[in-house]
Order: sequence, then structure tokens, then C-alpha cells
Amino acid sequence: MLAEVGLIALALAFASSVYAAVVSLIGARQHRTVWVDSARNAALLTFPLLALSSAALLIALVTEQYQIAYVWQVTNPTTPTFFRITALWGSQQGSLLFWCLLMSLFAFVALLVNWRAHHRLIPYFITYSMVTLAFFIGLVVFMENPFARYWIVPDATAADGVRVVYGVFIPANATAPDPVRLAETARGLNPLLRHFGMIIHPPMLYLGFVGFLIPFAFAMAALASGDLSTGWIRAARRWTLVAWLFLSLGLLLGGRWAYDVLGWGGYWGWDPVENAAFIPWLVGTAFLHSVMIQEKRGMLKVWNMVLIIFTFSAVIFGTFATRSGLVDSVHSFAQSAIGTPMFLFWAGVTLISTALIVRRRQQGALQSEQAFAGLLSRESLFVLNNVVFIALALAIFWGSFGAPIVSELFLNTDITLGPDYFNTVTVPLFLVMYVLMGVAPLSAWGAVSGRSLGRAMIVPGAAALAGVALCYLLGVRGAGALFGFGIVIFAGAVAVFEIARGAAARQRAMHENPLLATVRIFTRNRRRYGGFIIHLGITIIGIGVIGSTLFQQETQRTLAPGATLSFAGYEMTFNDVQTGQIADDGRVMDITRLTVSRDGQTLATIRPRHDVYPTSPDQTAIAMNIPGVYGTLENDFYVLLVGLQPDGSATFKVYVNPLINFVWWGGLVLIFGTIVAAWPHEGQQAPARLRRSAAAGPPKGHATA
Amino acid sequence: MSDLDFLQEFRPDPAASGRRRLSAGTIVLLAGILSVVVVIGIAFVRSQQGRPESGMAPDFTLTTFDGQQIRLSDLRGQVVVLNFWASWCAPCREEAPALQSIWENYRDRGVLVLGVAYADDPDDSRAFNAEFGLTYPSGPDIGTVISKDQYHITGVPETFIIDRNGEIVTFIFSTITEPQIRAILDPLLVGEAST
Amino acid sequence: MPFRGLLSLLLVFGVLIGTAIGMLAQADPTTITDDQVMDVARSLYCPVCPNEPLDTCQTEACYRWREDIRQQLAAGRTHDQIIADFVARYGERASAVPLDPTLNALSLVTPFVIAAIALALGAVVVLRWRRRQPLSVAVSSSPMPADASAYRARLEEDVRS
Repeated sequence: MLAEVGLIALALAFASSVYAAVVSLIGARQHRTVWVDSARNAALLTFPLLALSSAALLIALVTEQYQIAYVWQVTNPTTPTFFRITALWGSQQGSLLFWCLLMSLFAFVALLVNWRAHHRLIPYFITYSMVTLAFFIGLVVFMENPFARYWIVPDATAADGVRVVYGVFIPANATAPDPVRLAETARGLNPLLRHFGMIIHPPMLYLGFVGFLIPFAFAMAALASGDLSTGWIRAARRWTLVAWLFLSLGLLLGGRWAYDVLGWGGYWGWDPVENAAFIPWLVGTAFLHSVMIQEKRGMLKVWNMVLIIFTFSAVIFGTFATRSGLVDSVHSFAQSAIGTPMFLFWAGVTLISTALIVRRRQQGALQSEQAFAGLLSRESLFVLNNVVFIALALAIFWGSFGAPIVSELFLNTDITLGPDYFNTVTVPLFLVMYVLMGVAPLSAWGAVSGRSLGRAMIVPGAAALAGVALCYLLGVRGAGALFGFGIVIFAGAVAVFEIARGAAARQRAMHENPLLATVRIFTRNRRRYGGFIIHLGITIIGIGVIGSTLFQQETQRTLAPGATLSFAGYEMTFNDVQTGQIADDGRVMDITRLTVSRDGQTLATIRPRHDVYPTSPDQTAIAMNIPGVYGTLENDFYVLLVGLQPDGSATFKVYVNPLINFVWWGGLVLIFGTIVAAWPHEGQQAPARLRRSAAAGPPKGHATA
Repeated sequence: MSDLDFLQEFRPDPAASGRRRLSAGTIVLLAGILSVVVVIGIAFVRSQQGRPESGMAPDFTLTTFDGQQIRLSDLRGQVVVLNFWASWCAPCREEAPALQSIWENYRDRGVLVLGVAYADDPDDSRAFNAEFGLTYPSGPDIGTVISKDQYHITGVPETFIIDRNGEIVTFIFSTITEPQIRAILDPLLVGEAST
Repeated sequence: MPFRGLLSLLLVFGVLIGTAIGMLAQADPTTITDDQVMDVARSLYCPVCPNEPLDTCQTEACYRWREDIRQQLAAGRTHDQIIADFVARYGERASAVPLDPTLNALSLVTPFVIAAIALALGAVVVLRWRRRQPLSVAVSSSPMPADASAYRARLEEDVRS
């Protein structure tokens, strides 16, 4: 019953999206409002249908319907309810359905919210977004269907006269397999995914990815309809910020999960799939900045188009690379037949959008304003910002995909590029990024003299020097580290300085108290000041990254029970180990108990452990090392149980990660800043608009008639 | 759609289009994007190539632990049991006696058991061979070329049975047993001259 | 003459003693600490796992390889020699950065070339902006401003208020 409901809802969603795509295209070309309205309704309908389908799968998971193959693959009777729910996105088919659900949700909201303000763009917006949605729903319906079930069919050639078959439709003469037998043999979720992070990391990441569909569809709608004014930019910008917010969250959570659970003492491995998620973030950041240039001065129109298309192309490429097994990765799904259609879709999207831009450009659209900008103006610095982010994106793409693929195809050698490569290549670019983050807000639109810029840099520069001195006093000695800290602190100081300056100006003008003035500048200009909080968050993350990367210490020692290990100023005593502890889900745990102290003072008891998950006899057991961590703002004392020796002693791997908690706190600040920047402000439209158009002067940026 | 919208619609200037040639920058951009797509496409197609389960067995030259050089194509006329293994692989330990037994019973009937050690330390491999008394030719796959690049194995043990003409007859994904191999070999050896 | 003969005899002795000391310097494997092994393993990748560094990989095979590194360190080999040995045995993918000079250049130099090209393009754009006349005014006139819908909305707003 559930499978039927899910299947029918899925099929209807597919039909609805195809209808919406086709009808909106016709309506757009023939300027028929009725058709566009109908398409819009069909597009809106996809969300409830997909929600119904997902709900069916969710209920099947929670109520243990093992006949449905997906349920059998990702759960078993010992799975707790929490992980039954997260199993919805635990494997290929379910996660694709979930992806479609989120995509239709975004389209749903966009069609409701942006309907009137951008009704010129809506028809083609529906076309492009529904074509993409139809493609992904098509993948689910025809290739990776989560509602396929197991059937028993009579088979004369088989041993006991029957054969187990797997399929969406009921074969002839089929019966349902015995539920008890199914339950006994059910596989269960990969233990690596049985963590709290599972409930939130994939959804956030998917929201980030599919979120970029909306600005992309608006951009394509602008190209297709010919309405190339800044209308599409306004629609696209806030959606990009929303997608960027979720993508940032997804990346941070992924790092935190890896740190907490995967047991290698780090939070970012430069794995190809991680990088595939990072690249859209980088290009999206470039877009968020460069879009301001088009809004303020009407320049870089073609480039902004290219950027948003590049971002979406990176998203599709990322999901293609992950799901098709293009590169080896710990994140990869099992190899599947959807690789070919996904490649074709990616190639199609990239090539067709590029061709459209070129065509419009040839026809004379997307002409830039012939505006002047000085060498140190904000426009020029934003161009440099774009250069840095694009260089980063391309360098990371080269390291994860380009070099290994080229080397394998043309030089017949398999290579791996690891942290050594990425650190060498990205660190200089990140440093330039931080410098720009500091200098650009101090600059001005149009032109600015070197002298005034230099004057503006004095106070933040002094703060940076003070910060460096503080680091030196706290024991940091390396020149590289001090330099890095200096640059990062400079960028953060500028953000704080600008907020203080804005609040002070408002305080003088409006005679408000400082606190109210600060709050008011945020509410009056969310973009700008939210942006400064985001920069501050990036600064804090930067401090954490420098500390935990340059100053990480690690050691591996074997300790007998009762023995103490001295490392990095800490003492760690191995108290005892409890082997063979059985948890609710059947895993066997070896839990060690360690006391951590410093200068004689006991700080905490930590329990690193080794878990072995039960699997069927013919599969290798899955083991996980869960660290025991004592964390402070200064550092994390992070211990892994590597192995137990026959003589009762245990081998431990100990990491001391300085400043690592700055990474997570910085992440929180970043998220907060993004929410502030993206918060919609109604009721502010009229005054802002009048002020802007008064300052704009003669009309500009019109299309040639 | 409102009535004033026609004013906003971009109409390409008929005189303008066709006059502009593609700028150098645009050509470079297009060429760049196209080459990336093509290269990824080729790489993708290659990554989809599974292990050879039929057809001609990819040829290779293996230097055994005893220093002997064996080339697969020189073994035409013999049936080859090509076994990928490693000393760190537990199932390989289970099937080693079966492979040795096959070798002892079938070597005079024109069957060669050939072991290829995948990503294994040569000292560990030799110790493994000594432990199980394996006397069939076996050698290290230097650089994992034979196992990964030619036979696309995904793990060990994996066994390929190659007939007298050099074609792959069967591929066995997991641990082999002696009766299983005998059942495959016997039909292939029908028609040999009795010794 | 006898002096020179004595000198060469001393030289031979010196070489023999040096070799003996060198051989004695081959340490007992148990004296090689885990940290020394990890130091080498960190620059290597597990040859059979997907993208997993050798120092964190937990499989039996990786454990064996780390023990192999310990043996090689005890035999007096250097960090680079061990890495070269691993690459020779398991291919370039075992090393975190390719050893082969062509591959090394291909991997490491290309991103800097890309960054340089991007910088050059950015510089072209910025310089082009700088060369324009400041405070330019858009010359052409049109019957209606570009953003007609915003204009209309404002009109309606003004009429309403």
C-alpha cells in the first residue's frame, strides 16, 4: 500500500514537472498568461506530491516494511527510530528522492514569493527549474526507484523452485517474501552514518545545493526572455544568500562530524567529494560580491551571468561526481547507472547556458556601463576578490579532478593529490583573500586615493599589530604563523571598526545611545552590516584553522594500565578498559577510561572507544574509533583508541589541536551574520528606492531597442 | 504579463547581429569549457569500464618471486587460473590450499595456476607462500598495473579462468573452492590427448 | 714513501671502521617510535583504500604497511627513500604528492599558472576601467526608463499615498 502511494505520487510529480516545463515554455513564447498560470500551478503541485511520496517512504522506514528494497538495505530490526528517519537520505535512492523534495520546496517558495515582483521572468523561470526537477525526478522514477520491492517468483531452474526478484512492478505469479525472513537478513545503515550529524549534515548540504537552482533559473530566464535589466539580479541575490547559508552550514557540520566521529583528528580532508561541495561555495561567494558592482555601477553584467551559471554547473558536477563513482572517495555512493544521464545533464546545462550568454552578447545585450573605476576603488578590489575565488575554485578542481583525470588518461598513471598539494596551493590565495577582506570595505565606489585608503587602514592595522604582539606573548614564534594571524586579525579588525564607525555616525546623527545605534544600523542596512559579521566569522574561523593546522601536535604511544603519558603540557593516565560492552544496536564496544590533567590538576575523564558493528558473516566487520576529547578555547586534547594489545596495554593516538574551537564558534558567527544579511526587510522599500533613484542621475542600463 | 512589457523586451538589433565576431576571450572561454566537458566525459566513460569478464584476457608480463618472467600471451595452449591475492587478505588464506591442490592435480593436464600479489609487501608475500607451501608461479604486481589498470579488480581475492585461446571464461568474485574450480576446468580440458 | 703508505692504511682502516659503525647503527625495530613511523606514513596514501592517508587508515593491510615502514626505518632508510620505495611498489597513487617530476610539475605548477592567468585577466579589466573618463554620463536617451515595472509601482504608490 505504501509503496503504491509513494510510486503514484512520484509518477504524478514527474508528469506535473514535465507539464509545467512544456506549458510554461509555450506560454512564454506566445505571451499567453493563461498557459503560464497553468504551468505555475503544475509547478506548485510538485511539492505536495513529492512530500507525499517522501512521507510514504518515511512511514515505510519507521514501520519496518522490509519488502521495500530500500528499507531492507538501509535499516534492520536493531536500528533505532532516530536513524530510521535519517535513513530516508541514507542511500542513493532515498537521498535522490529527498533531493527532489527539497528542490521542489525551493521552487514552490520562489513561485509564491517572487511571483508578482518578477513576473516577467517567471515563465522561463518555471521552464528551467521544472526541466531540472523533471530530470532528477526522472532519475528516481526510472533508474533509482526507492519503492522497488522484493518478490518471490517461481523459477524451475533454481534450487528450491523459487527466485528472489527485485522490481518496481509486480511480476507475474509473484508472492511477497516472508516478512520474518526479510527482517532477519536486512542489512542496516553503514555505521559511519549512525551519528547525530546524519540528521542535519546531508539536509543542509542538499538545501545549499538545490538552493542554487533558483538564482540559476532566474538568470536563465533573464537570458531567455531578454529582460536583462537588474531584475534578475535582485531576484537571484537573496536566493543565492539563502543557498550560501545552507551550504556553509552543511560544510561546517560535515567538518564537525568528521572531527567528532571519523577518528582522524581533523575536520577537512581535501577529499574530492568535500571539494566538490566547496567549489560552489567559492564561486557563489564570488558572485555575492561581484553582484554588488552590477547593482551599484552597472558593470560586469556578462561576468555575473557566467558566475551564477558556473556555480550551478559546479553543483551539478558535484552531485554527478559523487553519485557516479568518477573518482575514488570515502563519500562515494555505490556505482550506479545514473552516471551517464547525470553527465549528459551536466554537459548540457553547462554548454547550453554558455551558448545562450554568448548569443545574447553577440546580439548586443549585456552591455556594460562605460563607467570609470580607480585602481584602488571597491570595484577593482572586488574584481581582485573574484580573481582569488575563481583561482581557488579552479585550483581545487584541478587537484581533485583535473590532475588525477589528466594523469590517468594521458600519462597512464594514477595519482593522488593530498593535503600537501592543497595546502601549498590554497594558502597563498587564502591570505590574499583575507587582505582583500580587510582593504575592500575601507575603499569606496568609484575612486579612492591611496592616501585616504592608507589613512583608513591605520586603526585596523594597529589592531592587527597588537593582535600579533599578543600572539607572540602567548608563545607563537613562527614567522609564517605570526604573519598569518596578523592578516586574519586585520580583516576582522576592519569589520569591527566599520561596525563601530557606523554606530558612532548614527549616534551622532540621531542622538541615540550606542546600543540602540548599533542595533539600528543593522536593521537599516542588513546587507552591509550582516556582511561585516560574516567577515568577522571568517576571521575567527581563520584563526582556528591557522592554530589547528600549523600547531597541531600528535603522538602515538602504547600504555599499560595505570601508566601515564606526558604530552604537550598535559598528563594522561590510562585507568582501565572495559571490553565487550554491548550497546542497544548490538555493537560491541571497548571503552577505555583516561584521566587528563595539567600541572597536577585533574581536568577531566575521557573515554575513547572502539566500536565494532555487527554485520552478516560474509561481510567484513565495520569498526569505528570514537575519540575522547577534552576541549577548551585554547585547544582540544583529543585521544583515539588505536588498538588493544594482548598483554592488556592499549595503543593511543593523542592529538593536541590548538584553537580548533575557534573554527566552530566562527562558524556560528558566520551563520548568524548570514541570517542578518538575508533577513527580508519590508516597509523599507519606498525611502530606499527614492534615495537610490535620486542619486542615480540620468537613466542608464537600458537595452537597445 | 502586463501591457507595458513590450517596452522592456530585448529585441536584437537586426543590423547589429552578424556584425560582431566572437572575441578572442569568448573563444578561449568556450574552448576551455568544451575541453573540460570532453575530458570529464572520457574519464567518466573509462571509469565505467568494469572488469573484463569475457573476451581476450589483457596481456601482461609478470616477474615471479623466483625471478622468472611469465607473459600471459605465451601461455596460449594452456588453461590459466589467474588469481589475485594478498597476504593481508583473510579469505585468500582460506583458498590457498585449494589453489595449491588444483596446481598439483592439474599441472600435468595443461593448467597453470598463476598468482598475482596485489599491493603486497614482497616479504609478506613470500612468507605467505612459504606458510601454505605454494609452489605455483606467483609474483608481485608492481605499481598495481595488472590488477587495477588492466583487470579493474575491486578487492582480493578475485580469480579469472582463461582458456587455451587466451579468452576469459569465468570470473569468480570471492573465495574459490576446489570443487568449484574443478567443475570449471574439467569441461575446458575435454579433448586433450590422454597421457 | 712509508708515510704515504701509512696514510693509505689508515684510510682503509677508517673506511672499514666507518662501515662497521654504520652497520651497527641499524637499529632494533622496537626502538623506532610510532611517531617516527607516522611521520613517514603521513606523506603516503593507502594503496588500496579510496583517498585515505596511511597514518589514519585502520585496516589490517595499512597496519602491515606501517610495520613495513618501521622495518625500513630500523634498517636506516630515510623518509624520502621509503616513500620512493612505496611508489615503486604500489604506484604514484601511494604518495601524497607525485614523485615523478613531470607529474609533480603538472600537478603543482598548473594551479599557479591558472592563478596567474586569472590575475592577468582581472588586471586587464581593472586597467580598462581606469582608462575611461571619470564621471561619464550615458549619452543616449530613451522614451522610457529601463525598469518600467519599478517605475509603475512607484507611480501607483505615489498615487495611492
